[in-house]
Amino acid sequence: MEAIKLKKLKKLKKLKEKIIENFFLICALVAVISVLAITFFVFYNGLKPFVTNSYPFWNFISGVEWRPGSNMYGIFYMIVGSVFATTGAILIGVPIAIFTAVFIAEMASSQIGKVIRFAVELLAGIPSVLYGVFGLGIIVPYVLKISPKAQGESLLATILVLAIMILPTVISISETSIGAVPKAYREGSYALGASKIQTIFKVVIPAARSGIMTGVILGIGRAIGETIAVMLVCGNPIAGIPTSLFDQIRPLTTNIALEMGYASGVHQQLLYSTGVVLFVFIMIINVIVNKLVKVRVDS
Amino acid sequence: MDSKLKFNIKDLDLFYGDFQALKNINMKICEKEVTAFIGPSGCGKSTFLRCLNRMNDLIDSVKIKGEIIFDGQDINGDIDVINLRTRVGMVFQSPNPFPMSIYENVAYGPKCQGLKDKTKLDTIVKDSLERAALWDEVKDRLNKSALGLSGGQQQRLCIARTIAMDPEVILMDEPTSALDPIATAKIEDLMQSLKKLYTIIIVTHSMQQAGRISDKTAFFLMGEIVEFDDTHKIFTNPDDKRTEDYITGRFG
Amino acid sequence: MGRKAKDILVKSIIYLATGITLSVLLFIIGFIFVKGIGAINWNFISRDYNEKVFYAFVENSSVPLTIEPKVMENKTTYDKKYETPLEAPVYVENIGAAITKVQYKYYSTDREQFIFSYIEKNSPFQNAVQSNGAPVDIGTDYILQSVNGTDLTGLSTNDVKTLINDQTGQLKLKVISPGGGIKSNIITTLYMILLSLAVALPIGIFGAIYLTEYAKAGKVVNTIRFATECLAGIPSIVFGLFGMAFFVVALNFQISLLSGSLTVAIILLPVIIRSTEEALKTVPMAFRQGSLALGATKLQTIFKVILPCAVPGIATAVLLSVGRVIGESAALLLTAGTVAQIPGTLLSPGSTLTVQAYYVAKEEGNIELACAIGIVIIVIVIILNILSRIASDKLDVFNKK
Repeated sequence: MEAIKLKKLKKLKKLKEKIIENFFLICALVAVISVLAITFFVFYNGLKPFVTNSYPFWNFISGVEWRPGSNMYGIFYMIVGSVFATTGAILIGVPIAIFTAVFIAEMASSQIGKVIRFAVELLAGIPSVLYGVFGLGIIVPYVLKISPKAQGESLLATILVLAIMILPTVISISETSIGAVPKAYREGSYALGASKIQTIFKVVIPAARSGIMTGVILGIGRAIGETIAVMLVCGNPIAGIPTSLFDQIRPLTTNIALEMGYASGVHQQLLYSTGVVLFVFIMIINVIVNKLVKVRVDS
Repeated sequence: MDSKLKFNIKDLDLFYGDFQALKNINMKICEKEVTAFIGPSGCGKSTFLRCLNRMNDLIDSVKIKGEIIFDGQDINGDIDVINLRTRVGMVFQSPNPFPMSIYENVAYGPKCQGLKDKTKLDTIVKDSLERAALWDEVKDRLNKSALGLSGGQQQRLCIARTIAMDPEVILMDEPTSALDPIATAKIEDLMQSLKKLYTIIIVTHSMQQAGRISDKTAFFLMGEIVEFDDTHKIFTNPDDKRTEDYITGRFG
Repeated sequence: MGRKAKDILVKSIIYLATGITLSVLLFIIGFIFVKGIGAINWNFISRDYNEKVFYAFVENSSVPLTIEPKVMENKTTYDKKYETPLEAPVYVENIGAAITKVQYKYYSTDREQFIFSYIEKNSPFQNAVQSNGAPVDIGTDYILQSVNGTDLTGLSTNDVKTLINDQTGQLKLKVISPGGGIKSNIITTLYMILLSLAVALPIGIFGAIYLTEYAKAGKVVNTIRFATECLAGIPSIVFGLFGMAFFVVALNFQISLLSGSLTVAIILLPVIIRSTEEALKTVPMAFRQGSLALGATKLQTIFKVILPCAVPGIATAVLLSVGRVIGESAALLLTAGTVAQIPGTLLSPGSTLTVQAYYVAKEEGNIELACAIGIVIIVIVIILNILSRIASDKLDVFNKK
C-alpha cells in the first residue's frame, strides 16, 4: 500500500516539475510568438491594399507625392529621405564615435576615462524626444540662419540630430571591443618600435573590427528607425525628393507616426505598408552589413 | 675575449609602487653573445629584461633609478624610446602574432618606420623568415593568417618579425616555455645561428636550456644578481652557495 | 608626411572627436536645463496639464483679513510670465480670499480672468464641496468664472466684490483649476512602468530561466535566441504599428493604458531576458550541484538558491527596463495616446512624460515646457543610473567573495 502511495507521489512530483518546465518554456516562447505576431500583423495590414488591388504597388513604391486627399500615396521620396538621413548620420557620427572610443580605451587616464564613460552613459539614457527638442531649439534655428531656403527643419538638421543620437551606442560598443583586444598584441607592436598611434590604428582597431562593426550596425538600425526625434526637425513635406541638405524630408518612420492617429481605410493600410517597407529595409541592411563583416573577418 | 660592451647597467633599482623588485643591479653584457638570466619565479629576471627596451614604461606604477648605458647612451634618460625598440627587439613568452597575414606580421615593423617600397619589403620578409628558419614552411602561404600556424611556428614568426627590424639586440622572455620539446629544440638551434648576428639576452626557467645555449649566465634571486659569469663556471663551479643550491635543485 | 607629424595629426583628431562628444552632452543638458528651469516649480509638478472646470459650493462667511493690506496686495502668486495684473487685488471677506483681475496670455490663449491671489487660513474654501458632497480643493491661482450663475466676464474687481457681498447663503462658484502641470503625465508614466514590468518581468525571468537552466542546445533554443535578437532590433514605431493593429484594434482595447503597457512589455522582453540570463550565468555551477546533491529538486534549486543569487542582475534588468519605459515615445504615441490625463481605468488613454514633451513641442511649439519636462526626465534618468551602479557594485561584491 505504502509503496504504491510513494510511487504515486513521485509521479505527481515529476508531473509537477514537467508542467513548470513547460510553463517556463512557454514564457521563453513568448519572444518567438511576439516576433511572429508583429511580422504577421504588420505584413497582413500592410500588404492588404496591394493584394486587394486598392492601390497599385508600383505607384506606392515609386510615387513622389503623399496626398491622401487626392488618393496619392507615393513613398519613394520618403525612402530617399530615410536613406540620405541615415547615411549622413553614419558618415558624421561613426568616425567621431570611434575616435572617442579610442580616446577612452587607449589614451585617457582611468579618472578621465571614468568621467567620459559616465557622460556617454548619460547621453545613452536621454530619451529620443529630448534630442528632438534640442534639435528643434538649437539646431533648427541655426540651420535656418545658414539656409538658402526659409526653413530650419531640413535634411541637415535631421542628419545632425541622428548623428548625435548614435554616438553613445557606437562609442560604448567600440570601446568595449577595443578594450577586449589582448594586451599581447599591443606589447608585440610596441616591442617592434611602433608608436602608440601606430599600434592603435594598425593593430588594435583591426583586431577589434567585428565588435566595432556590430556597433555601427546598431547605430544604423537606430538611425533608420528613429521616429520621435526626427519628427520635430525634418519638416515632413508631402512631396519632393531631397536634392539639397536644406530640403525638408519625410522619412518612412515619421510618415507612420504623423498620420496614424486619424487615418482610416486604405490610407491607414498604406501606413502599415510604409511599416513593411521600413521593416524590409532594416532586414536588408542587417543582412548586408552582417555579410560584409563576415567577409572581412574571414579574409 | 673581452668583446665589445653592448649594455652597461649601473646601480639599477626598480620599484613597483612601494615594492622594490630590482636591487642594485650591476652588469656588463657583451655583444654577439647569448646571455641567460636564470632564477626562481618572481625573482625579477623578466622585469630586468623589460628594462632593456623600456617595456616597463607600459606599467603605471613603475619607478626606475640607475643607469642603463646602451652604446654610450643612458636609455633611462630622455631618449627616443621608439628608436630604442627598433634596435632592441623582444620575443615574448606566449607567441603573439598579430591577427594578420604572415607577410603583414613580418612587414609590420618596417612599415611602421615608413618603408613603403614593395620590393624592399618582400626582400626583408624573405630574409627574416629564412633567418628564423621558417621560410620553407610558409613560403607558399605568406598571405594566410598567422593564427593558423602551430605554436612553434608562431614563435619563429615572432622571431622573424623582430629580425625584420634588423636590431642589434634580441631580448627573449622565456621564449620556449609555451612550446613542446620539438619546437623548443628547433628554436634553441635557431639561437645558435642567430647569435652570430645579434646580441641575445634570454630569460629562462630551464637551467638545462641555459646550460645548452648561453655563453654567460646570471643567477637572479629576490631582485638581486647573486652571480654572473661564464655559463660553464656557473653550472660546474659556482662561487656562491645560493647559486649552487639552485643549480642542484635544492630550491626551484 | 613624417611619422611624427602623422601621429600628432591623428592625436589631435582624437582629442577633437572626444571634445565634440563631450560638448554635445553639455549642450543638450545645458539647453534643456536653461530653457526649462524657469517653468519648474511645485505647481508644475502637482498640477494637471489641462484646466479643469468645476462647481464648488462654499458657505458665505465673514473672514477678516489677517495680514497687512499692503502685503496682500503684493502677494503675486500668479505666474508672472503669462499673467499680468489689470487691477489691484481686492480682498473679499465673504470668501476669505483676495481676487485679482489679470490678463492671461499663453501662446494662442489671450483672455481676462479673475484669480484668487491670496486665500486666508480660515477661508470657507477649506470646506468647499462639489455638487455630490465630495470635498474639493480651491487654491491660489485658481480662476473664478461665475458666482451663483452670474458670469464675471467684463466686470471690474470691485464689481465682483460687490456681487459676492450681495449674495446670501451658499455660494455656487464656477472655478477653473489651472493647468500647465505634468502631474497626470507623471502618474501615467508610473502606471505604465508598473504595468509593463508586471507583465514583462515574470515572462522574461521565467523565459531566461528556461534558457539557462533547462534548455539543451538545439533548434528551439536557437530560435528563441534569434527571436530575442530580432525583437531588440525592431524600431519602436513598428511596435507601435503592431500595438495598434493587435491590442488597440484586434483585441479592442482601444488607445489606452492597457494597449500601451502591453506593447511596451514586448519591447522590454529582450532587455529582461538578456540581463537575467547574464545574471543567472554568473551563479557558479557549484551552487546548483551542491543543492541537487542535498536532494533538492531542480525547481527548489532555482527558486531557493539560483534566483536569490541573481537578484542584483535582475535589479539591473529592472532599472534598465524602467529607463526604457520612460524613454519610450513612438510606440506609446500610437497605443496610449496624447491625452494628458490620469487614466481612470485600464482602458483609458493617457500620455506619459515623453509623449507629452513631444506633443507640446510639436503641436504647440512650446519648447520651454518640453524642456521643463525634459529636466524631470533627466533627473529621473540620473537617479536610475546611480541606482544601477549601486546594483552592479553589489553584483561585483558578490562575485569577488
